[in-house]
Amino acid sequence: MAEYSWEARSPLRKAFAPGRIGLASGDAGIAMAEISDFSLVQVMARRGQVANVAKAAKKAWGALPPERPAAVVGKGATLIWTGPDQFFVLSAGSVPDPVPPLAAIFGGTASLSDQSGGRCLIQLSGTRARDALAKVSSIDLHDAVFPIGAAAATSIDHTGVNLWRGPDAANGSSVYSLLVFTSFADSLWHTLADAAAEYGVEATRTPLS
Amino acid sequence: MRIACPFCGERELGEFTYLGDAAPKRPLAFAADGAEQPDAQDLFFDYVYLRDNIAGDMNERWYHGGGCRSWLTVTRNTTTHEIKAVRAAPGAGAQKPAKAGAIS
Ligand SMILES: [Zn+2]
Repeated sequence: MAEYSWEARSPLRKAFAPGRIGLASGDAGIAMAEISDFSLVQVMARRGQVANVAKAAKKAWGALPPERPAAVVGKGATLIWTGPDQFFVLSAGSVPDPVPPLAAIFGGTASLSDQSGGRCLIQLSGTRARDALAKVSSIDLHDAVFPIGAAAATSIDHTGVNLWRGPDAANGSSVYSLLVFTSFADSLWHTLADAAAEYGVEATRTPLS
Repeated sequence: MRIACPFCGERELGEFTYLGDAAPKRPLAFAADGAEQPDAQDLFFDYVYLRDNIAGDMNERWYHGGGCRSWLTVTRNTTTHEIKAVRAAPGAGAQKPAKAGAIS
């Protein structure tokens, strides 16, 4: 079989420009980042195997997969609810094939599918992140309803996204992560940038840590 | 109109797709011994084309494609659009609905 050397490119290569967007004066109210270099695998429990999948995940990452819309930070991976009996395993570092190690963990109790190259990860943080996101999402983002660890499979601007709130940033501001299909990433980036422009945006690109 | 997905909670209509009446059951084309059902043609015609035009409560299939991608059975009043119940469609992957979201 021929050896291919694929050049990894950002799905945001059209929309993304580093630096300031919108309001140019004062501190940027929003940091918008494309998070790169991650592995993302969809895990779907096979019929009747939910308990075994949970047990395997607990052993591997010290965290139970969420049974309701939530994102759980485990050791070495974040488990993000995507639907009943299914979740994403998100981990730092891009590898050629992230499925075999997970196949070893779940041993036939779950169906696995590599989504690393299929999704773009966008992170919104900063003092006005919630205000910008609220303009384009119908999810109630109030702290009481959407606290740290909350997640939602939802649509923004007619585009399916997996949204969750991670631990707050060092400066105390909320951090929202959005996974979107790569072919819709440019479009979603534009939508978010437009919503955030009035608060001032600092756009960056960072590997997942 | 908003639909309370038993898995996701209450969401706007735009996240859902309507399939239609949840009542029709696919008929058997063949009997257990392999023989063709004599009335299979008529049964399939009914199954594919004929629908009741209900004024009142109706069980419908809806797809939460803009969310958790589950098939749901929604009891909706076709004259008032009041939604009386939402539950996971049988065989829609999940064994049981999660606790999130109110099932109205
Ligand atoms: Zn749903």
